[in-house]
Amino acid sequence: MNEFWLTIISYAKLILLTIVPFVLAGQGTMLGGRTGIFNVAQEGIMLVGASVGFLVSFLTGSNALGMLAAMLAGGLFGLALAYFTTHLRMDQFVIGLALFFIGVGLSTLLPKIIIGVTLTPPLIPTLKDIPIPGLSQIPVIGEIFFKQNVLVYFSILLSIGLWWYLYRTQAGMELRAVGENPQAADSLGVNVPRARYWTAILGGMLMGLAGAYLPMVYTGTFTENMVKGRGWLAIALTFFGGWKPDTILYGALFFALIEVLAYRVQVLGTAIPYQFLLMLPYLATILVMMFSFRKARVPAFLGQNYDREKRAL
Amino acid sequence: MKKSNGLLKIARAVLPYLLAVVAAFAAAGVFIALMGFDVFKAYGTILFTSFRTPNGFVQTLLKFVPLVLQALAFTIPLTAGKFNIGGEGQLLVGATAATVAGIVFAQLPPILLVPLVLLAGVLGGALWGLIPGWLLYRFGINEILTTVLLNFVSFNLVNYVCTGPLRDPAAGHPTTIAIGQNGWLPMLINNPPLHSGILLAILVVAVVYYAITRTVSGYELVATGANPRAAGVFGINTRWMFIASLVIAGGVGGLSGALEVAGVQHRLIEGMQHNFLVLGLIIGLIAKGNNLAVPFVAFFISVLEVGASAMQRTLMIPVEMVFIVEALILVFVLLSDLVQKRVS
Repeated sequence: MNEFWLTIISYAKLILLTIVPFVLAGQGTMLGGRTGIFNVAQEGIMLVGASVGFLVSFLTGSNALGMLAAMLAGGLFGLALAYFTTHLRMDQFVIGLALFFIGVGLSTLLPKIIIGVTLTPPLIPTLKDIPIPGLSQIPVIGEIFFKQNVLVYFSILLSIGLWWYLYRTQAGMELRAVGENPQAADSLGVNVPRARYWTAILGGMLMGLAGAYLPMVYTGTFTENMVKGRGWLAIALTFFGGWKPDTILYGALFFALIEVLAYRVQVLGTAIPYQFLLMLPYLATILVMMFSFRKARVPAFLGQNYDREKRAL
Repeated sequence: MKKSNGLLKIARAVLPYLLAVVAAFAAAGVFIALMGFDVFKAYGTILFTSFRTPNGFVQTLLKFVPLVLQALAFTIPLTAGKFNIGGEGQLLVGATAATVAGIVFAQLPPILLVPLVLLAGVLGGALWGLIPGWLLYRFGINEILTTVLLNFVSFNLVNYVCTGPLRDPAAGHPTTIAIGQNGWLPMLINNPPLHSGILLAILVVAVVYYAITRTVSGYELVATGANPRAAGVFGINTRWMFIASLVIAGGVGGLSGALEVAGVQHRLIEGMQHNFLVLGLIIGLIAKGNNLAVPFVAFFISVLEVGASAMQRTLMIPVEMVFIVEALILVFVLLSDLVQKRVS
């Protein structure tokens, strides 16, 4: 294999590796949105996931336990969001922001309490690539798609699974109805609060996992504010992914492409100051929203609370 | 009779806050105790550091200036029903513009340079607020997302300016060289140092309150927030209101940056926005968007923040603890609202 193919393979592999936090947080956002819960705490939940995932991995030496703990922590945030909005019917944005604040605070508080301030950053083992027997032997394709870490496989399978669930099953259709017209769904016997609870909790778990991915794959340690806006980018992603699992996956590929590009150009060194390259993901997101935002199909009940006793007009 | 009614009203408004503060302190206190710290010592430090020494009080006032302005930058668009999460970006771009103006025109006399530095900050912030305003107006893009994303753009912009041609080669951390001494804000007190920006901040609070409650445009802003559709029917150009509120908010946010530059740091420093945004949002939300309550909440949060740094220094309890207390106060204030609604 010559230089050209090796470069292509390494870039493609890197892009696929980079989609994971976007896919997980994006699908988590989408899932809650499908029942009308608009989570804006992604950034905070991802930070908590990164922090807890790192800490538990560090203390137990097991990445698997770290990921589980991160999901549990994220799920708790999702549960709180669901309780405050579904049960107490408080403003979704305000509660989402409050959870974001708590997440930001907790994420730096926990390592300070548990590990303390150290001169050299404590390190955890990063996730290893798991080659899939047989498939990974295929030239080029196998190298790109079938020699990745477990969460790359998971995020792609999750996207396919969610798509299948939402568009090909009765339960999925009922779930979508909750976000479009909860009253109609309710009268058809769908348990609206239950749908909201489990989608918010599962969404939070995915965001926590998305956060845990960062120390486990990128850095091996937790640093303050390491999510760097990926949580907010995930909300933008769900908007121009049209709140559909399949298009969110493609959108995540686009985000990953920009991130890898910005990083690579920076490493290669150009006349452009690297700070402007680092702005690229955010600017590109705004640019894409300019052309897709108005057309984006949003669940009709997104961000609104459903009060069963309140009759429609 | 009338007077006691007024007092009752104030008591009724303040009581839920007191309960929320007590509840948040109690909840966090359990956590602090579990970590093995002395809860009473911790809370004593948090609440009284600001009032024990003149230095502590001035520290609190210095914290109050950017916080109250950041909170206003959040509540002004909130009046129109829009969320401005871009306070830090507006602060930084305002600070950048103020710094550049203060370095380029360093030779001007103070009477010209001080206003110029502040004006540059306001304009820089307003421009940064115009971008999400325009994107909302022209493309209908959710302002929550654009304001947040622009924060991250501004972080990199500041890093560029601080490491670029204006870099201070003597400093270990990325900062620019100092602005001309003529651009420094005059001091109110010299020891401990307190700059006159606090008067300006209070003036801005008063102007914003007056403009929103006593002018036609302010009324239109409130109407837009209360019910955009109805406001539109009555001839208010709601989309203009959205833009205007975000631009004004940006200007106020930019001013907070300019005051930090002209009054405290005298230069642009990477990371100088530390947590101002989140605290601004917490203040705005605890005040429930009421611009009259904002300065009081902002002062209280400043007290907590200054106390938290002292707590970290003396008792080794991480400052983030107070951050969580503040978020909990917000949650309890919101919950008390709910309880009040149920009772009445």
